Amino acid sequence: MALIREPKNVDFTVQSKPWTEEELRDFRKLMNELKAKNAKRKRSTSTTSKKVVV
Amino acid sequence: MKISKNTPLDFVIDKLTNSIENTYTGEVFDTEIVRMTLSDLKIIKKTDWQFDWGKEIKDTTKEVYKLSTTNNPIIIQGLLSIEDKQDHIFMHLIESSKFNKGKDKVYLGVPGNLVAFACKVSVDKGYEGFLAFDAKSALIKHYQETLHATHFRGLRMFIETNAALRLISRYFKS
Repeated sequence: MALIREPKNVDFTVQSKPWTEEELRDFRKLMNELKAKNAKRKRSTSTTSKKVVV
Repeated sequence: MKISKNTPLDFVIDKLTNSIENTYTGEVFDTEIVRMTLSDLKIIKKTDWQFDWGKEIKDTTKEVYKLSTTNNPIIIQGLLSIEDKQDHIFMHLIESSKFNKGKDKVYLGVPGNLVAFACKVSVDKGYEGFLAFDAKSALIKHYQETLHATHFRGLRMFIETNAALRLISRYFKS
């Protein structure tokens, strides 16, 4: 298994501050675009993998 | 652990195989992640932690999880605070225990484990793995390289579906 080994001199700490309404709105817009792209890719993959019966 | 049928991803996780590595011996230990409740407040010594975890546990909008090794569940290796934002998970805090900080840290992989878990929560809730958080400016590149996180703006970062699935597959056997 490939563990993510942080360097010994790096302490991976997260302390997030609340995102503003504008940041959240822009993030959600981008996220929805990415989700739609993923769904489209998934649909096209499942369509192309279907067997065609004549 | 199965993901509910209404999630848009065909991704099934059935076994937790999280682990962390002892920096001195290289030995790898299986880990478990458990949600903390108000009754766990007494096991968190304020002086051992940089952040106020008691406040996080008391905040009903947040979920706090502890990571420990399966053979010694009493010792907390790291803590995570997340919030369900209805379409993604927001990661408020991550902190490794004091013996897992600095150049003499005992275990490697604690934060990676916790981030992968947060991504799994996002997948389980049907949010396709989306996880948002802030990074220290010096660590933005590090997160991009190790977590495949995307830099949004300023200190804001997020993990999208493909990166989340990659992280989950590192820590959870499917």
